[in-house]
Amino acid sequence: MSEYRDEKLESLLRSRRNQAVNPDLAARIALKAQTIPQVQNISLWQSMRQLFAEFHLPKPGYVLASALVLGMVLGFNTSPDSSPTQDANYTTTQSMIAGDEGFL
Amino acid sequence: MAVAWPEKEDHELLALVQDGSHPAFAELVRRHTERYYRLAFRYLQNRAAAEDMVQDAFLKLWEDPHKWQPDKNTKFTTWFYRVVVNLCLDWQKKKQPVELNEDMPLIDDREGADEAMQRKQQQIALEGAIAALPERQRTAINLCYDEGLSNQDAANVMAINLKALQSLVMRAKTSLKERLKNYL
Repeated sequence: MSEYRDEKLESLLRSRRNQAVNPDLAARIALKAQTIPQVQNISLWQSMRQLFAEFHLPKPGYVLASALVLGMVLGFNTSPDSSPTQDANYTTTQSMIAGDEGFL
Repeated sequence: MAVAWPEKEDHELLALVQDGSHPAFAELVRRHTERYYRLAFRYLQNRAAAEDMVQDAFLKLWEDPHKWQPDKNTKFTTWFYRVVVNLCLDWQKKKQPVELNEDMPLIDDREGADEAMQRKQQQIALEGAIAALPERQRTAINLCYDEGLSNQDAANVMAINLKALQSLVMRAKTSLKERLKNYL
């Protein structure tokens, strides 16, 4: 009896009816996908390459850019106290202020 | 030279989809829409909702195709069953259960009126009994019987081991036999 019920249940489960799919569904999904952009998964290396790919300077440009950078580095690293011109200007300014104070 | 899309394997199509190929995506959708719609309909019992679910699942894949990773040694179909089942279960948690759809072809036109009526009643009872099963047992029954997956594939979809799946199927059948005793 139990075996009969098992077989009956098996056949019932296997005979479940399926709902037919709408034939347009696949086309609709594919069409909708054309309006949706994909998420870009870019690695760090790829993003660096993309960044540098935008620098298309000619060779003289590289030389100029390097010279500029070098000049800036040297300029910022030079102590202001070591400039004799600046010292002289500083003294002149001091004497002018002192002169003005004399009037007051 | 024209590309023979139907000859390409799923993983080949997916590699092209990952490069943004719309024709490859269209082929993948054409190839698998029916089976995932069938599964979604089993859960949702509603044609429009099942279509929306399948569309959502495929569009999520299109948006971020790198979610599928071939190196994880999982077949696309197995992985995508999991995606669709999870979406359906999420949908069911948010919505009230839907009554059995009247559009569903429960009877075979070739049968006589009495047989057809009896069969219809049996199927309504079966659908009701399956809908009343716990979530995991229902998923196991849907995958093993409707989708015709092997027990191992169904276990992979559900991310459980083979014995656990067999146990779920066994418990589901015991419960169904009890609920359907008037029809068996």
